Amino acid sequence: MLGIDDPWILAGYGLAIGFTLICIVYGWWKRNEEDGEED
Amino acid sequence: MIDTTLFWAFTLLYVAMTLFLGYLGFKRTKASEDFMLAGRHIHPWIIGLSYGATFISTSAIVGFGGTAALYGMGLIWLAMLNISVGVLLAFVVFGKRTRVLGTKLKAVTFPDLMGKRFKSPFMQYASAVIILIAMPLYAAAVLIGGSRFVETALGVDYNLALIAFAAITAVYVTLGGLKAVMYTDAMQGIIMLVGMVVLLFLTFSLLGDPVTAFTKLSNLSPSIPTSLSSKGMTSWTAFPTFGSEIWLTVVTTIIMGVGIGVLAQPQLVVRFMTAKDNKALNRAIPIGALFILLTTGVAYTVGPLTNVYFSETTGKIAIAAAGNVDKIMPLYIESAMPELFVVIFMLVLLAAAMSTLSAIFHTMGTTAGYDLWSHVKRVRSVEGYDKPSLNANKAGTFVMIVLSVGLAYLMPDGIIARATAMFMGLCACAFLPAFVHGLFSKSPSTLAAKLSLGLGGVTWFFWTFFVHIKESSILGVCKFLTGQDAILGMPWQVVDPMVIALPVSIIALVVGWVYETRLPESEAKANGGTGAD
Repeated sequence: MLGIDDPWILAGYGLAIGFTLICIVYGWWKRNEEDGEED
Repeated sequence: MIDTTLFWAFTLLYVAMTLFLGYLGFKRTKASEDFMLAGRHIHPWIIGLSYGATFISTSAIVGFGGTAALYGMGLIWLAMLNISVGVLLAFVVFGKRTRVLGTKLKAVTFPDLMGKRFKSPFMQYASAVIILIAMPLYAAAVLIGGSRFVETALGVDYNLALIAFAAITAVYVTLGGLKAVMYTDAMQGIIMLVGMVVLLFLTFSLLGDPVTAFTKLSNLSPSIPTSLSSKGMTSWTAFPTFGSEIWLTVVTTIIMGVGIGVLAQPQLVVRFMTAKDNKALNRAIPIGALFILLTTGVAYTVGPLTNVYFSETTGKIAIAAAGNVDKIMPLYIESAMPELFVVIFMLVLLAAAMSTLSAIFHTMGTTAGYDLWSHVKRVRSVEGYDKPSLNANKAGTFVMIVLSVGLAYLMPDGIIARATAMFMGLCACAFLPAFVHGLFSKSPSTLAAKLSLGLGGVTWFFWTFFVHIKESSILGVCKFLTGQDAILGMPWQVVDPMVIALPVSIIALVVGWVYETRLPESEAKANGGTGAD
């Protein structure tokens, strides 16, 4: 698929892009998060 | 060779901007906390860019890009770990807790945080010593990476390039401290982002659309030399054979060593302590993640594709055309890219090298100047207890820069990616379990932390000097003492030290923790005590 022999390589690309999207969504979602009570 | 007028114009502009931002940092550095932690109120975008630019150095682009050209696209898993572990986990789980504890304990460096959290001068000194032993290796690797590119692409003398790199960085780090470092990091990060994205587009415009380019790369499999295929390499678009020598190297040393080691790197941990609040850290996360994807993802994609380019133009695969892993990316840029981009890419590498170098220099300097020199002085003399010396930090920074430059002259060729992986592996084995314990345990055990740091570090050194053949054969200690390069045979010789030393470090932590929690409180304190608040 896409000229790449190994599905593990495609999975690596998928996960790298997926985690980047998670980071973007998380950062936006929590952009105004107040500091919690921590020891 | 490129037009020298163009080269000097861009270089001078870049150096002028760097020095101007360094000067801004210098003007805003009034006290030791400014020098060491940038006053703890850096803008989120600067934190994100600085974290990314510090994380990604010439080692990632030149060293690991070249390694990807040799071993194939499996390194994309390192980019995945860099984002999931190095950004998401690091910021969300580690970063926020580090910031809170750092502020509460008034810690200003990584060893200071370890010492104060565990209420143990040993933890501070031992962390400092490990940093001062291992970090110059990393600094030297970064220096070599940048200098090699300038030498290959521009024909500038290697020694001159190396000295110029170190000298310009030394000026703004020594004078402006972490503010200067982070301001310049942000500018350098933007240059890196733009350059790497352009590199990806130019590569595909040269080799065809992605599917065509990857198909050409897959079709090159018969060109894999026997020296690689006999060790498990099957294709540049596939993982090496499971359990083979190359698989072990790629997975244990490169992907795991660097991917996990990032969590306990002192120069990155300090960046969490520069944030004013959790909001700042959250807002930095998208910037950091995008930055890592667009820099490492591009390097580990373009690296393997250089085989297609060299095969079509010279009839050789990349390693055969360049002769050395560290020369593959510079040679590709110099021979395949338009002249203007060679200059821009030189700036990318200058920026990558300087942003990481400045962070390393700063961390080594504050470790030498504050954690060792000032702290020992304070212990002996109560006077000035709360005033770490700005001059001591500056002097420490300068001394460590000189040592790193000296080491860069001694280290062999082809060492960039390996030295980087060594540094990150040692950080993981010596610091990570104790650091996690200190961050998340309500009653952290000092004994457990000491055991973990000590045994993790010693095991890593033992495996590096006596078993892992790629290092032990170069270091020569094993040969001197036993007459052979490594004391164990295959497959142990290619198992990374981290695979052995990190579990040892974790087990030591658990054993020490369980032992201390079972002791009566008075006895526990007499044995070194719990660091509980």
